[in-house]
Amino acid sequence: MRGESVFAFARRRFLRHRLAVAGAVCLAVLAAAAAAAPLAAAALGTDPEMADLLGRFAPPSPEHPLGTDDLGRDVLVRLLYGGRISLFVGLVAAVCAAALGTVVGLIAGYRGGWLDAFLMRFTDGVIALPALPLLIVLAAVDLSKLGLPAGLVASEDISLYRIVAIVAAVGWTTVARLVRASTLALRARPFVLAAQAQGAGPLRIMVVHILPNLASSIVVATTLAAGNIILLESVLSFLGLGIQPPIPSWGNLLTNAQELVWSAPMLAVWPGLLIFVTVVSFNFVGDGLQDALDPRALERHT
Amino acid sequence: MTRFLLQRLVQSAIVILVMSFVVYGLLGLMPGDPIDVMITADPNMTPADAARLREIYGLDRPILERYATWLGAALQGDFGFSRLRAQPVIDVLVPALGNTTILLGAAFALSLALGLAAGVTAAARPYSRLDYAINFAAFAGISIPPFWLALLLIIVFAVILGVLPAGGMGTVGSHGLWDSLSYLVLPVASLTIASVGAHTRYVRAAMIDTLRQDFIRTARAKGLSGRRVVLGHALRHAMIPVVTIAALDFGYVFSGAMITETIFAYPGMGRLIYDAVMGNDYNLALVALLFATALTLAGNLLADIAYVALDPRISFRSLER
Amino acid sequence: MRRCLAVLVIVLCSALAQGTAWARDRDELVIGVTQFPSTFHPSIDAMMAKSYILATTRRPFTTYDANWELVCLLCTTLPSLENGMAQLETTPDGKQGIAVTYAIQPQATWGDGTPVTTRDVLFTWEVGRHPETGVSNLELYRTIWKIEVKDDKTFTMHFDKLSFDYAGINDFLLLPAHLEESRFRASPRDYRNRTMFDAEPTNKGLHFGPYTITEVVAGSHVVLELNPTWWGKKPFFRRIVVRAIENTAALEANLLSGAIDMIAGEAGLALDQALAFEKRNGRDYRVLYKPSLVYEHMDVNLDNPVLADVRVRQALLYGLNRDALSSRLFEGRQPVAHGFVNPLDWVHAKDLPTYPFDPDRARALLDEAGWTDIRRGIRHNAGGEPLTVEIMTTAGNRTRELVEQVVQSDWRRIGVDARIRNQPARVLFGETVTRRSFPGTVMFAWMSAPENVPRTTLHSSHIPSPENSFSGQNYTGFRNAEADDLIERMETELDRDRRFEMWQRLQHIYADELPALPLYFRSDSYILPKWLEGLEPTGHQYPTTLWVENWRAAP
Repeated sequence: MRGESVFAFARRRFLRHRLAVAGAVCLAVLAAAAAAAPLAAAALGTDPEMADLLGRFAPPSPEHPLGTDDLGRDVLVRLLYGGRISLFVGLVAAVCAAALGTVVGLIAGYRGGWLDAFLMRFTDGVIALPALPLLIVLAAVDLSKLGLPAGLVASEDISLYRIVAIVAAVGWTTVARLVRASTLALRARPFVLAAQAQGAGPLRIMVVHILPNLASSIVVATTLAAGNIILLESVLSFLGLGIQPPIPSWGNLLTNAQELVWSAPMLAVWPGLLIFVTVVSFNFVGDGLQDALDPRALERHT
Repeated sequence: MTRFLLQRLVQSAIVILVMSFVVYGLLGLMPGDPIDVMITADPNMTPADAARLREIYGLDRPILERYATWLGAALQGDFGFSRLRAQPVIDVLVPALGNTTILLGAAFALSLALGLAAGVTAAARPYSRLDYAINFAAFAGISIPPFWLALLLIIVFAVILGVLPAGGMGTVGSHGLWDSLSYLVLPVASLTIASVGAHTRYVRAAMIDTLRQDFIRTARAKGLSGRRVVLGHALRHAMIPVVTIAALDFGYVFSGAMITETIFAYPGMGRLIYDAVMGNDYNLALVALLFATALTLAGNLLADIAYVALDPRISFRSLER
Repeated sequence: MRRCLAVLVIVLCSALAQGTAWARDRDELVIGVTQFPSTFHPSIDAMMAKSYILATTRRPFTTYDANWELVCLLCTTLPSLENGMAQLETTPDGKQGIAVTYAIQPQATWGDGTPVTTRDVLFTWEVGRHPETGVSNLELYRTIWKIEVKDDKTFTMHFDKLSFDYAGINDFLLLPAHLEESRFRASPRDYRNRTMFDAEPTNKGLHFGPYTITEVVAGSHVVLELNPTWWGKKPFFRRIVVRAIENTAALEANLLSGAIDMIAGEAGLALDQALAFEKRNGRDYRVLYKPSLVYEHMDVNLDNPVLADVRVRQALLYGLNRDALSSRLFEGRQPVAHGFVNPLDWVHAKDLPTYPFDPDRARALLDEAGWTDIRRGIRHNAGGEPLTVEIMTTAGNRTRELVEQVVQSDWRRIGVDARIRNQPARVLFGETVTRRSFPGTVMFAWMSAPENVPRTTLHSSHIPSPENSFSGQNYTGFRNAEADDLIERMETELDRDRRFEMWQRLQHIYADELPALPLYFRSDSYILPKWLEGLEPTGHQYPTTLWVENWRAAP
């Protein structure tokens, strides 16, 4: 690696990937816009949750750039707030799932033996676990009995955390399998053996020596998962198990709009378009990262 | 090979047994029992009625005992009756399974075929304009929420153009093949569009990876034509990850086509499972879900057999653990 | 290759388009509904789609018609004390009872040619009151202590309970003894799984209405064709197909594509969807609205100390602009409810307090109740507790979700911290409502028949608790001695005027005490082709298909 750090090299390769760059820019813009949602609401002088029955289905106007929805709320502001929720759910759930999967995969792959066999059969079980009853059970479990603070349980955000928890609880399996397979291969590599010979403990070897080598595949899996989770949230909304009103998410905005598809099609087009752009962007970014972080590409380069 | 198969069958049986317990427990954890739902529907029910009905349905016994009873009967081939449909579970399951097999079989085959064609085309010239176009189309397909896609297809082809039926199983009174096929076009298309993107991506990635490898270069150096290299050698090799993904999909789609089935009013397994779970139909939900699990396991087994067929370096022995 | 594919698709589509003839003959009618019946047995599991279909293949003895009057369908004359077919009597154990005599339509015949006789009546009664059959609604069968058979077509039912609607046996749904008796006798416990209604639903002998079921594709559709043994008016349509399409957007698309002719009002589009549909397609379709007995309201948990204060409940109602709700969301088609009795019901009280939208009045009441300290827009009491009210409803029900968001906005404007927490219907009705574990309010609907005494929803003996295994529907926990007394007396009061007075008083108590916050009465919306005539919406739980023989296509 002469004259150029690994990161600089990866960045250069990533930037060469035009679609990936476009995707990253898109995501950055969407995230910034979503972050600015309260500003937009203040600027337009509207509240994303306050219904105004006199102003239903208003056409676009300076006060409401994209018009109003079926309860007279500003569509643009709700889309921006929805972006906060959807991006938050997508990213946080994907990261949680990746973290969980990494831990399980590392331990299974490094330790091997019965622990590996047990963890992998457990993973198989989770993959085969039917999501629907699980969702219903979780939608009904009295969370205060699980020791969660009462203030949190009573808050409207609870449906948000619930979804993140559920998605993370069933979504870690892919990463776990991926990480385990790579760990198995890395375990026998000279640098790991050398570290073992120097007396490094298993935790240190896993974290310091093996984990960095897995970073690229974990990052890629996470970006791709984030897109899928945003889609999954919209499906959950379709089943009435998603984010609950009045909190907007792209998923529930789209679901609510499907019954209005004939009378107010734009209400469905906007969230649909945003989901589409976001998922495509995540995929392109993941794609670009895959190329940029491909260790074989690095090896060939050096 | 026999030993391998035996080993896998035993493992699968154990997984299904464990899953049956987990699913039973999960259903048991769901709030409210069927009698609670009936009480809501019928104001005149007395406490005695509720107790009597609970006893009839065996709901008054602890869940472990119920599970043991169920398992005992199931092992003798008696899966009980569906509470909602008041018919043997198998009688309810079989037609739905048939419908789903037709729908998903068609969508799966189509998606795999299209995915292979598109993936190979894209991989032949990576980062060309054609590659970008195919990638973009693939991501587009992945990125549309399934219910939205289904509705869009209905609006365009059934309402605006009026060329295809909007949903259902067939025109009543007409039993022609054409008629039945026409009802399949839109649901199959919507499932295909949703899954072809992923298949394309996997084929493309695997092909690019393979084309870089030494044995392909050797084949090229030996003077084999591009087309023969790609189709004859590389594709065979590239099929392995594709088979893995396809196998994973296999079980999933049986319960995962629910949304499409709902919008196209197509009575398949996805809907059945959903209704059974929502309607607290223990026996039906349990057997249907276990069936999906069994299919996932069968899919994985088939995938392993396919590996051996596809790659001479993999043997059944190496798959045994 | 792409181009080839495109050409192929176009060719295929056009070939199919020609192959499929959607333009049906006018002697066939395809009806879209949103659910498919899980069972076809008349008395197991009440479900609208089932009643809708079975009303074409069988008839109850009595029912309420489109004018909400009790009428005879399978009987010949409606019994009454005046015509002597009903007689007061005392039961052997000394209770006030009544004997009511019915005569079965002389020509009534099951589809396989077997006459409908008193044998069927006795069999139905036997099944209905048998403790092991799993028939859920035992009440009717339980109150009959004896059935006396006069002849093949005449019988007398002896009830051990007197009630003003003694003549109505709407839910006594006849079972064919000649087909079902052996199945039942073999094992009453397994009867519900053995019944021919589900094992062989197309058996002609199960039906005696204008139509019989000739094809059932589970989850998809049911085909109904003329029953040759039908005694009444000959129906116009040779064949009726009922198709289940659960997703309402898809249901609408099916209608527009011509795959179905009409959407049933009993299980069809929500009102706001129907209104939007009429705006776009009013030229091609006729949309009928019928105010119904479905009462949308918010049950209040009266055990919640905050909501136990009647001033708070009244303030919540004053603070809610129900007129705007009705006029803006439903274009006035779903009238504001001021109580649980529909204005179209003859016992409706016209002089009830109406709680018009008055935010100032609401604020004053909340101040009076001690919620004076407003911090960041939310009221707090002297103890520093915020005024929080939870709103629950069925997740995924779009209309209710819209309404609850309006409620939330309105309440926030008067300083109430309204929180929405929805659950899937399965969870809400399976546990939360039945076990009364909702902390604040829960929005749902009661569906009833005309002049339905609210015993199970308002009488204090019907508050669900662990002691009574959570039976009863008094979910609010309403206890009012006078209301209990009125309910008990009005059930047995035969004099219309005196009963009317009791109804007035009960409605006033309800309006003053507000155990539940009345929202609106739902309307059914029927989307019909312009050429369909003769369909008369009922607006109660007994479907329009009970008069399906009057439906016809305009020439």
